[in-house]
Amino acid sequence: MPPNDQIAYPLPHPTDFTKPFWDACQDQHLVVFACAGCEHLFLPGGSVCPKCWSTDLSVREVSGFGEVFSFVIYRRTYHPAIPAPYVVALIELKEGPRLISTVIGCAPEKVSIGMAVQIQFEAEDGFMLPRFTPQDSAPTHKV
Amino acid sequence: MTRRAVIAGIGHTDFGRLPDRSAFDLEVEASKRAIEDAGLGRQDVDGLITDPGPAQGILDGITPHYLALGQYLGIDPAYTGSDILGGASSAAIIQRAVLAVEAGLCSVCLCVYGDSALSTPGSFGYGRGDDAAFGLFGAVGIHALAAQRHMHLWGTRPEQLAEVAIAARQHAARTPHAQKREPLTLAQYMAAEYVVEPLRRPDCCLMSDGAAAVVVTTADRAADLRQAPIEILGHGQANRLSTWSSPEHFDTLPAARCGPETFARAGMSPDDIDLAMLYDCFTIVVLMQLEDYGFCKKGEAGSFVEGGRIGPLGSLPVNTSGGLLAEGYGGGMLHVIEAVRQLRGTAGARQIDNAETALVSGHGLGMNTHSTLILGK
Ligand SMILES: [Zn+2]
Repeated sequence: MPPNDQIAYPLPHPTDFTKPFWDACQDQHLVVFACAGCEHLFLPGGSVCPKCWSTDLSVREVSGFGEVFSFVIYRRTYHPAIPAPYVVALIELKEGPRLISTVIGCAPEKVSIGMAVQIQFEAEDGFMLPRFTPQDSAPTHKV
Repeated sequence: MTRRAVIAGIGHTDFGRLPDRSAFDLEVEASKRAIEDAGLGRQDVDGLITDPGPAQGILDGITPHYLALGQYLGIDPAYTGSDILGGASSAAIIQRAVLAVEAGLCSVCLCVYGDSALSTPGSFGYGRGDDAAFGLFGAVGIHALAAQRHMHLWGTRPEQLAEVAIAARQHAARTPHAQKREPLTLAQYMAAEYVVEPLRRPDCCLMSDGAAAVVVTTADRAADLRQAPIEILGHGQANRLSTWSSPEHFDTLPAARCGPETFARAGMSPDDIDLAMLYDCFTIVVLMQLEDYGFCKKGEAGSFVEGGRIGPLGSLPVNTSGGLLAEGYGGGMLHVIEAVRQLRGTAGARQIDNAETALVSGHGLGMNTHSTLILGK
């Protein structure tokens, strides 16, 4: 049995603040937090809007489209469940918020800043993670 | 007359692999050396501020770092605490000592950094919260994101990052206690493996076991002490805790705010600085600071460092003992100590002629924290 099968994937630990985001991911919906006070959309979640401190917040589904703000290629393995090489990217969603994710579905060397990407949910140990693929190569969005 | 704080003493241990010594053991040695250097004794210490290194698990258990170190030193300071600003902590605790001394809360404040990171496995490769699910581990990933942005926005080339790494080794070659003194060629740099592309192994700082300490006291007190006092001409701090929801995160450091503020407090400009001790966890951070402090224009740091400008014979020597890249990981406190040595004129083979002013910086966590000192003689 290869060692990778015995190593637990480093899954997120949802908190009160981030649980709505991760819960939505499990149903393959990408959501951000929306402030009724100032219209600001943001990630990660919290109990107040970071722009105006309003507590009038809701969860809003977004398009899943965005672009690569920056990216790197891990050439060294830090965790046995995530073998190098792989891409870590800061994705800027079309709606504004940024999140750390990865770009899959193309060679790491093909990723570039400004590249248009689209959400692609994938499960690790039964937990859905929001990853991104190049927009023109993305398979149909599963709902 | 107002109380004015100065630096009166410095001390550090060996840096490198010291597997038989705990971080606290090293911190006690550095503390003793700094107090002795100042010509003071343990009975004089009435302030203790600490910068626990990353491997020390400051949040484990219930004993704060300053309490444990204070117990080992057997002191009961009027003023104490630990700062957890990552690499910005060392300059920040000097700043805090200056504020405490000038406010009269204490008169002899010991500022101590220490760690046993090299002998504590896994202390730097930690996951970044939930982002570990996407493979974001260690500080290197965050800084590689910034390097990629810099290359994209400004056309910065690997050969320009290499200039920073090569200069660090040139400085370290003149520094007897430095950990990595052998020269680095451009060809060696370009052939080095990527850790997290676009950052290669020589773009990344060393890991070290070691400790370093600085004594801050009043100018009046220092007048009768062993060493010529080093003046603190300005100090500042800026933090961007909003991280990547801030539009400018990755494109500037908080130094872009506290740099100009600190220069203004000191009544100085970048042209007045003889030496810069810039926190250098990764080469890219040196380039970004050269811009954000105004030593060159935004986007021009890559060409600024070409031709050895920050090397031993350059017009702006940076990290004259080799810094985190080559001297050893001293948390940022070795940067303070090197500035003091240069201003005292006791830097030996690496002494820079006519060094009268030095800027010292600290930078930490996910590029969230920043601290600045301007020192003079
Ligand atoms: Zn709001």
